[in-house]
Amino acid sequence: MLSEIGLITLLLSFVAAVYAVAVAAYGGRVHSERLILSARNAALSTFPLLLVATGALLIALMTQQYQNSYVWSVSDPNTPPFYRFTALWGSQKGSLLFWCFLMSAFAAGALVINWRSHRRLMPYVIAYSMATLAFFVGLVLFYENPFERWWLVGGEAVRTVLIPDGAVAPSAARLAETANGLNPLLRHFGMIIHPPMLYLGFVGFVIPFAFAMAALASGDLSTNWIKATRRWTLIAWLFLSLGLLLGGRWAYDVLGWGGYWGWDPVENAAFLPWLIGTAFLHSVMIQEKRGMLKVWNMFLVLGTFSAVIFGTFATRSGLIDSVHSFARSEIGFPMFFFWAAVTVISVGLLLWRWNRGELKDDHPFVNILSRESLFVLNNVVFVLLFVAIFWGSFGAPVISEIVMNENITLGRDYFLQVTPPLFVALYILMGIAPLSAWGATSLRRLGRSLIVPLVLAAVFVAFIVIVGHTAEPAALFGYGIVSLAGFVALYETYRGVVARQRSLGENPLRALAALFTRSRRRYGGYVVHLGITVIGIGVIGSTVFQQETQRTLAVGDSLEFGGYTMRYDGFTNAIADDGRRMEIADITLLRDGRELARLRPRHDIYPTMPMTIAGAYSTLENDFYVLLVGWEANNANSATFKVYINPLINLVWWGGLILILGTLIGTWPTETVPAHLREAAPARSRARASA
Amino acid sequence: MKPILIRAALLILILTAAAGLAGAQDTTRRTVTADEVNAIAKQMYCPVCENIPLDVCGTAACAQWRDEIRIQLESGSTPDEIIRDFVARYGDRVVGTPQDPTLRALSLVTPWIAAGLVVALALYLLLRWWRQRPALATAAGATQPADDDYRARLERDLQARR
Repeated sequence: MLSEIGLITLLLSFVAAVYAVAVAAYGGRVHSERLILSARNAALSTFPLLLVATGALLIALMTQQYQNSYVWSVSDPNTPPFYRFTALWGSQKGSLLFWCFLMSAFAAGALVINWRSHRRLMPYVIAYSMATLAFFVGLVLFYENPFERWWLVGGEAVRTVLIPDGAVAPSAARLAETANGLNPLLRHFGMIIHPPMLYLGFVGFVIPFAFAMAALASGDLSTNWIKATRRWTLIAWLFLSLGLLLGGRWAYDVLGWGGYWGWDPVENAAFLPWLIGTAFLHSVMIQEKRGMLKVWNMFLVLGTFSAVIFGTFATRSGLIDSVHSFARSEIGFPMFFFWAAVTVISVGLLLWRWNRGELKDDHPFVNILSRESLFVLNNVVFVLLFVAIFWGSFGAPVISEIVMNENITLGRDYFLQVTPPLFVALYILMGIAPLSAWGATSLRRLGRSLIVPLVLAAVFVAFIVIVGHTAEPAALFGYGIVSLAGFVALYETYRGVVARQRSLGENPLRALAALFTRSRRRYGGYVVHLGITVIGIGVIGSTVFQQETQRTLAVGDSLEFGGYTMRYDGFTNAIADDGRRMEIADITLLRDGRELARLRPRHDIYPTMPMTIAGAYSTLENDFYVLLVGWEANNANSATFKVYINPLINLVWWGGLILILGTLIGTWPTETVPAHLREAAPARSRARASA
Repeated sequence: MKPILIRAALLILILTAAAGLAGAQDTTRRTVTADEVNAIAKQMYCPVCENIPLDVCGTAACAQWRDEIRIQLESGSTPDEIIRDFVARYGDRVVGTPQDPTLRALSLVTPWIAAGLVVALALYLLLRWWRQRPALATAAGATQPADDDYRARLERDLQARR
């Protein structure tokens, strides 16, 4: 019954999305209000329909309906309820359905919130957002249907969407016995939020894309589309950032290689839209403030969505092998076709409008040191990073295979050679650009503004040298540049507070609160910069100063490493509630003879694969991270451990939290009518009424 | 000299020589630590694994490769020789950056060429905008009255509608 409900609602949502595309496009063309309203209603209906379809699959998972082949493939009777829930996005079919549901939610939100304020763009927004949704729902319906069921036809087990002639349902007990269970890699707390965050980030960019395409199609090329989409872009960017951070944390905890970012093609596929989206969030300010970079902003927003679709194609089609990617599937060709079509149509439309001279800038660039010029340079660096990472992840491997018939991998070595200079340039611009003014800035003025942050950065580097006992020039240079960006953000906020104190006599806390209340976007942006600075310091520390060693220890033996003493106390075997076998090493961690923690690195042995789960002791200074690599077969009298010291790694997660806070501040709606006027308005109305 | 003494002397000589040879052999086979093996394995990828470096991959195939690296290090091969040997047998897929000169150049130089082109284009555009500054400023000034006229007319129209 659940499968029937899911299937019917899925089919109806597909029909509704296709109807909305056709009617909105035609209604927009003939300016028919009735047709546009009808298209809007159809578009809005996709949300409840997909909610029911997703709910049907979720109920099937929670109630263990193993006749549903998706439920059978991602869970088994031992799977705890928590992982049954996360199994909704644990494999290709379910995650695509969930993706469609999220996209319909974003589309419904955009239609409801922006309907009145951006009426002229709406027919085209409906058409483009629903065309994208229809494509993905079509993929679920025709290629990756999660409502397929197991049937016995003439004694043969088959899985089909529709019931074959003469089919009987297999025994429930037999299905439960043979069920696969969730992929062990996905049994982690982070997996309950990492994929939804990433999907929200990805699908969220459909709204800015639809508005940009609507602007191009309708010819309303003013800043309307940008005003409508800025907040949507920030929300999508926030979710994508969260998805990337949580993905890093998941890799650190579960993949057992001592790091959080492996420059894996699938990680990079999620990072690429983030880069272009971040460039857009900066350059969009230039169009709002100065009416410049109209073509460039269009290019960035269309490029971000194109990167989203390409990343989805690369992850889900089997184009690349990765620990993060889904299995090779039939959706590769349709996804590639869709990506190519989206890219060609959007770029074609953009070039057509550009050729007609409809995207001319309102102002010229007047100063090379102006904020807009520095933002352009910042955009150039973001694009270069995009190109370098795209090339390493997809360009070179695919071209070498096609042209030279040689299969190559560009790994960490490549990315650590190519990207650091670009990140340095980005941090330098992050430090300088906020100090420059719109329109024009003199070198002298910019230099004067930089003095205090530069001195603070120099003090910070000296502090690192003294406390960290390090004189690694590259790392110190990196710390200097990264901290400069953070100190500029702090210094600018401090100057704002001082200015309010002097002019209004406010106390510092009140002045700070007033700054954030009155200019959320600006100061939220500074908090984001501070978060990126903290992340940068963590990345440098954990990359340049990471130490690792591998040792075999007998029971009672100790290893001295990185200022810690690790003692191997013994070995334990256990069976977990979900049936997995656990081989656990018992370790005591000491420093200066004092016991710090008991760690239990382990191997989880599932029927399908083993997992290496690290034991870690975390402080702000570093992580002591230990993996159980091997042990003596009979009695584990000796075991082999791989130990990492990851300095400052926790700053990566703390920086992420600061970044989220800053984005929330910047995204939070600003009151358009001041409170005192809102309070006064009803009184005036009453007065008019009584008069 | 008695034959038995001659035989004993020969035996001692042979045993001494054998011990010496064995000792000489031991000096060519050095002890290799897991860290040395991992330092090389870190630069490599197993073709059957999914983009996971060889030093941290837990599969049996990767464990075998690490053993092979250890054996080659013990027999005196340098890290470069070992990597070259693996590349010769399994192709450039096993390393993080290709060893083949053409592929290496293609991989490493291309992003810098692209970067150079993008930077040159950006600088060209910035300079062009900057040079156009006076002309555009004048043009903007010239259109100001027309714009004002239009606004004034718009205001008059709006007043008339009220």
